[in-house]
Amino acid sequence: MLTRLSGGHVVDPANGRDEVADLFVKDGLVVDPPANAQAADETIDCTGLVVMAGAIDIHSHIAGGHVNTARLLLPEWHRAFQARPGETALSKVGWTTEETGLLYAEMGFTTVVEPAMAPSSALHAHLELADTPIIDKATLVVLGNDDMLMSMIREGESESAIADYVAWTVSASRALGVKCINAGGSAAFKENVRRFDFDDVVPDYGVSSRQIVKTLQTAVTSLGIPHPLHVHCNNLGVPGASSDSIEATIRAAEGAPLHLAHIQFYGYGTEGKRRFSSRGQKLAELVNATPEITVDIGQVMFGQTVTISSDELRQFAGRGQASPRKSIIFDHEANGGGVVPMNYKQKSYFNALQWAIGLELFLLIEDPSRVFFTTDHPNGAPFTTYPDIFALLMDRSVRAKWLDALPKSVVKMTSLPQIEREYTLNEIATMTRASPARLLGTTDRGHLGAGAVADVAVYRPGDDKATMFGKAAYVLKDGELVVKDGQVVKRKFGRALTLRPEPDKAMKTRLDRYFDDKYGLSARWFEVPHGALGREDPFKVVPCRA
Amino acid sequence: MTVDTAWIDGQPATREDALQAAADLLGESRQPFVGGLRTDVAGLRSALSLARRIGAVVDHSGSAAIYPFIVAARESGAFLAAPAEMRRRADRVLIVGDTAAETGAAVIGMLTETAPDLGVRTRGAERLFMSLGSRNAASPGSLKTRHVDCAGGEIADVLGMVRAKLAGRRATEGALGEETITTITSFLTEAGFCCIVFSPAEFGELGTEQIFGLLAGLNETTRASALPVFSEADAMGAALQTTWTAGFPLRLSFGRSTTEHDAALNASERQLSGDGEADLAILVDAIAGASPAKSPTAIPTIMITADPASAGTARVAFLVATAGRDHDGVLYDPRFGSFVAKAAQTKSELPSVAEILDALTEQLGERARNAA
Repeated sequence: MLTRLSGGHVVDPANGRDEVADLFVKDGLVVDPPANAQAADETIDCTGLVVMAGAIDIHSHIAGGHVNTARLLLPEWHRAFQARPGETALSKVGWTTEETGLLYAEMGFTTVVEPAMAPSSALHAHLELADTPIIDKATLVVLGNDDMLMSMIREGESESAIADYVAWTVSASRALGVKCINAGGSAAFKENVRRFDFDDVVPDYGVSSRQIVKTLQTAVTSLGIPHPLHVHCNNLGVPGASSDSIEATIRAAEGAPLHLAHIQFYGYGTEGKRRFSSRGQKLAELVNATPEITVDIGQVMFGQTVTISSDELRQFAGRGQASPRKSIIFDHEANGGGVVPMNYKQKSYFNALQWAIGLELFLLIEDPSRVFFTTDHPNGAPFTTYPDIFALLMDRSVRAKWLDALPKSVVKMTSLPQIEREYTLNEIATMTRASPARLLGTTDRGHLGAGAVADVAVYRPGDDKATMFGKAAYVLKDGELVVKDGQVVKRKFGRALTLRPEPDKAMKTRLDRYFDDKYGLSARWFEVPHGALGREDPFKVVPCRA
Repeated sequence: MTVDTAWIDGQPATREDALQAAADLLGESRQPFVGGLRTDVAGLRSALSLARRIGAVVDHSGSAAIYPFIVAARESGAFLAAPAEMRRRADRVLIVGDTAAETGAAVIGMLTETAPDLGVRTRGAERLFMSLGSRNAASPGSLKTRHVDCAGGEIADVLGMVRAKLAGRRATEGALGEETITTITSFLTEAGFCCIVFSPAEFGELGTEQIFGLLAGLNETTRASALPVFSEADAMGAALQTTWTAGFPLRLSFGRSTTEHDAALNASERQLSGDGEADLAILVDAIAGASPAKSPTAIPTIMITADPASAGTARVAFLVATAGRDHDGVLYDPRFGSFVAKAAQTKSELPSVAEILDALTEQLGERARNAA
């Protein structure tokens, strides 16, 4: 069936388009305009509307053991738990897999990456993703605190052997990339280490965080994994130390691609009487000067949320700030992690400055193709706050109103009031469509050129950007209309995008023996079989680079 | 010879007739209950889909075994370990209570048969055990096991005294005396990494909270975590799956517009006893291993079971294959602490739980379409 989206303002920076035009869709793909435009079987009138590719979220914790633990920990935040349901804390959040898929789709997001899948939790994560409707999904598998990798580095094993191990892990877990979370930090915490810097050494292994990051960066590059190593740096959230850690990590990229996650949490200095200040400007300048680096922000927004992280050391340290005062800390194989509820308060100097630092970074990093739109859902804020963040980026008068509501002490400590930049629609589309697709290596999406999957988001423009991006006028997923006027009209299931590097047979045999001997577990248990997910076509394979 | 695979009122029937009879019962029910839930992920997904369709109350037959843990964790938090990590890292293991030895036999067996091989302080050390309860729970007679005799009713208090000692607070001597409290405290604090094994069902919500509170105190200065063990581990898998599907760990109701959760009202025991709101139960019992003792069922049932012997008293019954044995299935495995894909060991012609439940959902849809 040929569908015509007629007369919309097509914003497609990947193909250099920013014009009023028709868009044609057939059999789930974008196609070139036919000779006879009237031949379309169906026409969606987009006159006066903005037409973009479906948005891509590269870092949102939507599935897996830790996410599910947060649901378990916080029943009081579920709308249905309240005796008289109303606007409860997190009542808008996609708390179940079902709500996650529907709420993302209603905002025009069609691909979301779960960025912290433990190898031991891969099947669990994929089971949840298989139950998440409409959107396509992908995962990043976590390495860097695992005994196998650190032992291989300690023993001086070859780069190719380590790459074989990484390839097996990516392939078995059906991941789209590799993430490294506080490299060595969780392992050190198991040894009762309470602070861990980039050049500190993991006890018993004698390898530093720097060595782990560099080793994984090399392995990811050599395997042709399109997405650069995705790094959660050491000392997240610690004033001064966080800033030092991210600076050291950026300098360690040494010309090779590296992606740094939720950098807002590392923009903290120790200046001022509260020993908490913004280093947003300095960090933005460093990112601007380091072209091999890409970043996402992890914007903080005010209100109740929950932090979910495989950075066990950080989560343990943060449990004193839990609100409500309860948390769950995991000592699992490799990373472990923790779930700590958090309430970011607008009247708190610290929280308000965190909010400002995130926006400084968004606005001071010059190239929208190297900065990605995230709240580190739900760590900085639930993904349902995205429409408000779009408004803050696109309209400085909105920022001014928010700044007016902040403590005056905060306004003195941020450069945000002086920043005049307003993101254009084209820059928004670059940041949320074109660049994420390039970063992930998913060339079939993020643009509206012929051959792209027909994931299309159509918005009703207006002065209120939050309203515009909160409820898409239309969303097409694989060419099918799934959202109309901000409401889901068709429920279907997307797929998980995965790499499938061919694992080395000798490494496979070695890992069979390793998991059995060391952990008493079958290596098969770390695999995600095609038939286990109960969907006809659960995966779409993305090629590695040659 | 053909094998009977469906029954109506104890008499063999075709699957189609049994599905029709089950749909009739559901049509007459004012409040159905979907329980048992001893099935794989696919079966549970279908059960939840059907439950949502018919507005059912949902619970697992073994949820009573896990609920003290769930309530304690969500009320006050927890420290939790993976069994395989403790196998490699824990140099001291405190086994608390009298039932952990049986309920957690596999975990304790794994810990007694191996030695830590990770960690500067723990690698190569002999793993030491302490058992706190009225009987020795680990390797009786072993030199590396120390038993501290304590009546079951006193254990939570004793652990409270250990917490007080850790925090430098004064406490009474209690049942065991200060010297023993000091011995237990030292055992825990001198560990490179300490693991506490216990069965939450034995201690209830408050006792479980006490153990997690002790771990919070220990982790202020040293490292420690817990391995709670459960008599019905598949209930934990079901709780995880209902949590991601519906927001809550079992004991929920789809009866109204939003999913409702009430751990007392929606408990399996209450609903099946006839004291609850349910007037019809769909019960699923189809995973390997002996079925636990069943709650008395005072309401009519539709049984979906791998055991033909349990079909007799049901109004309608279906014989199904066992997941992970007769067909591929995903099951929760407590040794892994997560879900595991298990390949079929035999070939079965029997339908899966998911197939029967999906067929029943379809049957209801067909009836609704015809009625319209």
